Amino acid sequence: MEWDSSNSDLSGDEEGDFLLNDGGPLPFPVDSLLQPAPCGFVVSDALEPDHPIIYVNSVFEIITGYRAEEVLGRNCRFLQCRGPYAKRRHPLVDSTVVTEIRRCLEDGIEFKGELLNFTKDGTPLMNRLRMTPIYGDDEVITHIIGIQFFTEVHLDLGPLPGSTTHGTVKSSDPFRSSLLSFRLTPDGTRSPSRGLCRILQLSDEVICLQILSRLTPRDIASVGSVCRRFYEVVKNEDLWRMVCRNAWGSETTRVLQTVPGAKRLGWGRLARELTTLEAAEWRKVTVGGAVEPSRCNFSACAVGNRVVLFGGEGVNMQPMNDTFVLDLNSSKPEWQHVKVGSPPPGRWGHTLSCVNGSNLVVFGGCGTQGLLNDVFLLDLDAKHPMWREISGLAPPLPRSWHSSCTLDGTKLIVSGGCADSGVLLSDTFLLDLSMEKPIWREIPVTWTPPSRLGHTLSVYGGRKILMFGGLAKSGPLRFRSSDVFTMDLSEDEPCWRSVTGSRMPGAGNPGGIGPPPRLDHVAVSLPGGRILVFGGSVAGLHSASQLYILDPTEEKPTWRILNVPGRPPRFAWGHSTCVVGGTRAIVLGGQTGEEWMLSELHELSLASSVI
Amino acid sequence: MTSSKTIVLRSSDGATFEVDEAVALHSLMIKHRIETGGADSTTIDVPEVTGNTLSKVIEYCKKHVEAPNSDDLKSFDTDFVKVDQAVLCHLAKASYYMNIKGLLDLSSKTIADMFKGKTVEQIRETFHIKNDFTPEEEEELRKENSWNLFV
Repeated sequence: MEWDSSNSDLSGDEEGDFLLNDGGPLPFPVDSLLQPAPCGFVVSDALEPDHPIIYVNSVFEIITGYRAEEVLGRNCRFLQCRGPYAKRRHPLVDSTVVTEIRRCLEDGIEFKGELLNFTKDGTPLMNRLRMTPIYGDDEVITHIIGIQFFTEVHLDLGPLPGSTTHGTVKSSDPFRSSLLSFRLTPDGTRSPSRGLCRILQLSDEVICLQILSRLTPRDIASVGSVCRRFYEVVKNEDLWRMVCRNAWGSETTRVLQTVPGAKRLGWGRLARELTTLEAAEWRKVTVGGAVEPSRCNFSACAVGNRVVLFGGEGVNMQPMNDTFVLDLNSSKPEWQHVKVGSPPPGRWGHTLSCVNGSNLVVFGGCGTQGLLNDVFLLDLDAKHPMWREISGLAPPLPRSWHSSCTLDGTKLIVSGGCADSGVLLSDTFLLDLSMEKPIWREIPVTWTPPSRLGHTLSVYGGRKILMFGGLAKSGPLRFRSSDVFTMDLSEDEPCWRSVTGSRMPGAGNPGGIGPPPRLDHVAVSLPGGRILVFGGSVAGLHSASQLYILDPTEEKPTWRILNVPGRPPRFAWGHSTCVVGGTRAIVLGGQTGEEWMLSELHELSLASSVI
Repeated sequence: MTSSKTIVLRSSDGATFEVDEAVALHSLMIKHRIETGGADSTTIDVPEVTGNTLSKVIEYCKKHVEAPNSDDLKSFDTDFVKVDQAVLCHLAKASYYMNIKGLLDLSSKTIADMFKGKTVEQIRETFHIKNDFTPEEEEELRKENSWNLFV
């Protein structure tokens, strides 16, 4: 009989790998002995005094809490003692069973019975035990195989002697903790893939509200296909609403709630469409009313489902100062002139942004007297809407063709643009309009991207901004740019970073084929952090209406082309395009000849509208 | 020196744990029991939770009550949930029942992380979930739930 007892790594072997004799497998079918459940498996050397253990399997280790190296060489009766320090068999262990075991061993026959055992930390277990003698060549028993099927037993034994006075059972030992997974509860549900399924034992509330609500829409889609229970759980609209809010932010979901038809579409469907963009299409919208006198270089912005237009350059190049509103919620939308008291000085090349719910803020631009750096605010929902000037201390340099965006719904951010004498700027300023007396603050950075005008600033991922394109300074020259830069304003010291996703070594660009360089284009922030780019002034023969999409939150951000059915507008300009209700980009006319058509709008709708 | 009152918690399988009242009150369910309880509010039964899980819950509460501002609280939490999936599920269930928000968030978030980015098959594998759809249903689901991410 050759058994190499110096083999140190026994404990990791499965029963089937255990070799006896001349290296062949066990001389009887092990499988028939095993229960269809995790069993402890112990082999003792019957030729040595007191039958020392020479092998235990990992199930034994995990359930009893004793590692192989602690028990090899000992007789298995130590399991009848409670805890590693006890010297005596615990009084509750049935001594008649112990006597029976001894008799069977002496007679060389199999024992089957139940015996009380204890784990290393004193937990009582019922051991349904089967002990089988193994005979060698000359009818001598060489080994004893013990197969144990452990079950929990409810006994109030008090604390283990030697533990702390407060009797708390310490289970910070990770090995001990993993023990718990092998506890066999009476109703342990079984599954073909080895382990017990625990997660389905949790209630719907815990699964939905606590666990699944933290996942992205895409992951929820996968979860719904896993099993019947999850399929049902995932139908819950409240779950989808929470998922959308957690994935896209409360600001975005608040806006989406105001979209007519969105509620009928349901959050589940909305999440899907805004993630896959499978329902995106271009449409033409005809509206009534008129924006007169006609103009170009105005600025438009959406407040909920209303489009607001301010200023612009008239036919004689005169700066305009009137305000128009188009309510897309109405069954027959039409442009309406808003009678306001004290309008700001007329201007073009300015920015118009939405802040604080229904307020609009104008900054900069070129007026009759030259470049401006004033700030005006209008509450669209006021009974008598009125523009009022916000005199913020230390304003940025007067400028036009700068870019702006709104952070947290309350802070206006402006960047770059063209200052006096045509100098291009590269600074970034923030104005917190939630304060009583807003103060301009420059965001100090050690490095800025090349100065530029006609670029876009988009907000994504809560407090991050993305700058794209524009006409950028390069030495004494200016070129259209297709560079992407991001800044995280939640950092203590925010800084501009290039977005790198390209696989080219040392590349400072996103991967994929990016949009041709451009200025005055449109950048739309999609829920989930992606940016959609189209339109603008593009050199050469490239079409400006091709849609490009970028996810700056990816590990390797890559530009992708979005192919969308429907006819896009031939031209689309940044300052005259706005996103309505989070799901529609409205392009106010394209240029046909000298006139800007404002009665025919193009709409890129991202989600189905259920009418 | 004020004497700290202790409470005894009794699990479903009869194991008892003596803890400081402040630690026990970390569970809003126990807090409510004590506040609305009668004369004998020194022993509280927690029949939905086994001894093994309860001891772990108590360990969490102890740390968070006795050293809430310690620098290693974050690493304690991280290590606390480095446990088997079954333990994690037991912790989620127990902390929901016992109304311990911090532990519920911690265990739920850890379980949620185990779903992220996985395919349907991988989710089944991870959580030992049996596929109980018919082949026809699976085919329908494949069409319905495969989000062809164009990006």
